Parts: sequence; C-alpha cells; structure tokens
Amino acid sequence: MTMDRRSVLGLGGAIAAGVALAPGLHLIAAPPAPTAASGTGKRWAMLIDTTKCSADCTACTKACRAENNVPLFGDPQRDIHWIRKVELKDQTLRRPAVSLPVLCNHCENPPCVHVCPTEASFIRHDGLVLIDKHRCIGCRYCIIACPYKARSLVFHKTRPAKDANPKVPIRAAGVVEKCTFCAHLIDEGKLPACVEACAKADKGAMLFGDLNDPNSEISQRLRKEKSQTIRADLGLNPHVHYQGI
Amino acid sequence: MSLIGRRRERQPYEMQEEREVKSPTSWAGRWSRAFLLVFVLFAAWIAAPLSALADPPQPEKAVRGPCVRDAEWMRRNHMDCLKHKREETVREGKAVPTESFLSCISCHPSKERFCDRCHAYVGVAPNCFDCHQYPK
Repeated sequence: MTMDRRSVLGLGGAIAAGVALAPGLHLIAAPPAPTAASGTGKRWAMLIDTTKCSADCTACTKACRAENNVPLFGDPQRDIHWIRKVELKDQTLRRPAVSLPVLCNHCENPPCVHVCPTEASFIRHDGLVLIDKHRCIGCRYCIIACPYKARSLVFHKTRPAKDANPKVPIRAAGVVEKCTFCAHLIDEGKLPACVEACAKADKGAMLFGDLNDPNSEISQRLRKEKSQTIRADLGLNPHVHYQGI
Repeated sequence: MSLIGRRRERQPYEMQEEREVKSPTSWAGRWSRAFLLVFVLFAAWIAAPLSALADPPQPEKAVRGPCVRDAEWMRRNHMDCLKHKREETVREGKAVPTESFLSCISCHPSKERFCDRCHAYVGVAPNCFDCHQYPK
C-alpha cells in the first residue's frame, strides 16, 4: 500500500488531535441497574413469628415439596430439605420448647457463594441467593460453608411425579439445591409457597416482603418489634428474621 | 554317491500339467478376489448410513404458530438462543414467558417427534430434559 504525502500528513494530524483531545473526553455512563445491595432494588426478606408456629404443623414444608417438586427418598441422610421444622429446647427447661421452620436465610454475605468454584451460587439483583444448576458441579463446598444446613445434594435421579408442578424443573443427580424463596412465584408477583400455606393454615407466622421499601409491612414490623436472626454473630446478615426464640 | 545324485526324481510331464488344471487361480488372483470381497463389504458398511443421509429428518410441524423467530434461524441458532435466555432467566431474573422453555413446549408438544428426530440424526444428546419437564 502506498500513501501520498497528503494522506500521511492528514493521518498524522488526526492522530495528534486524538491524543490531545482523548484525556478530556468523558464517556457517558449508563445508570446502574437497581440492586438490593445499593438500596434501589428489592430486598426480599422473611419474618417468622415462632409464637404462632406449632410443632405439629407442617403446612410450610408440605407446600414447599409440592410447589418445588422436592421428593422424599425415605433415606434421612440423603433426603432433600428446602425448609425443615426444627425444635429448640432450653436445656435448663425454664422455657418451653420452640418449633420453628429453618430455610435458606438468603444472607447478604453468603459464605456459600464465596466458596463456589464455578460461580453457580450467586446473589441475584433482588438479594436472593440462588444456584445456577446448569453450572453446579456438585462439589459440595457450599454445603460445608452454610451455617444453616440449608443446602442438600441430590444423590438420586428422580422422575417427575404425575402431579408435578411443570413450572419448576425436577432435578438431576449430582447438583446442590436449596430454597429459592420461590423465585418463580416472586417474579410473578406472588408470595412464596410456604408463606401462602402458613396463612392458609390460619397460623400467619410467616411474613414476606421487601426490606428496601420502608412502608412494607415487614419493614415496619422489624422496626417496631423485637426480632433476631440465627447465628447473627457470624456477620452474614441473614434475611430470615425470627421472633420469640 | 554325490550330493547331486540324491535329488528327487522329476515328476512326469503329464502330472505337472494335471496340477496346473486343478488350481486355476494364481496367488495374485486369489488376493485380488479377497480384496474385492473386503471392499464390497466395506462399501456396504459405508453406504448404509449414507443412504439414511439421503432423507433428512422430518421434525413434527408446530401445532401453533408463529415461532418467536423464523424457522430457518431457529434451526441453526435455537441452542444459542436457549443458552442466552437461560443465563438471563436464571442469573438476572429476566424471564420472558413467551420465549421460555415452557412456551416452546406449548407449540411442539412431543419431544420424541420434534427434538429427538434431529438430535438423533446429528448425534447430539442435550440433557435439557434431565431436569426440565416436557409435559406429556
């Protein structure tokens, strides 16, 4: 390729002008997408009043299994639990035993996400801690990292039951799964299945809502009433709050 | 008696001629026949799948329409489309119901007659439906 004198001078001039002007140019940044962490998006959280929860009621766990197609294999060591009922007993017997549901706490600083080698566990924009099962390799680091025992590995292959919910996938063996706060229902503007079931069973122990909205019922109740989280000392900032424990 | 004297006596000419008649093919002829047989068998082995190539798979027609993209585009790019939507849906929570897996299923009701025909033909085995449900 040959260039004549005019185009060489022109090119040189253009480069010189570019070098002179470039430091003064500012690219227009797109406004950041709303996220839970920045306070601009939603931040889903749950408040569970254990005084309204009774030991004999399993409405939430049953509803969860039905909604999310979570099977029971009958092997306690390998069963999958997204939400489970736990009984707290005071060793001094001064206080009565408390029954409460324990599920994924959707922490703000989730250790499970921190340890995941494939970034299969991640924090969604609305603060939900979810698992991308397409990426999960089943290493189980997250199960070890989670202080709430919220995660389970799928040891068995499953087939969809006849009355399976078609909106939620069944599971492949060898991936980890846990409570999603029923993300598919939240996206449709509905409540998680356990919260619905709790209200239907006339317990009303579970309240679900947006913490970033100061006028939501959960925000107001958390401000006014006393509540606590499990293992608050770990600094994970979990988003399942409990009353009466 | 010399060593030369111990040679076997030559066969009579008549017998030699008879032997020639008994084995009509030479070594070269036998080898070429064996090679021909092997070649025919090999060609048949190659040609059997080739004849299948002559008639491409006929995936079942959609029971409803139109598709989210035109059929020619979907034939080449549906896998990239599904993967792209998968990332957006799962990780960013941007579910587009009309382009979800479930809505594919509503127009193509049979996995065996739609997905599997082409996938078997080209020899790929995507594992989508290990987890996702294809309603019967």
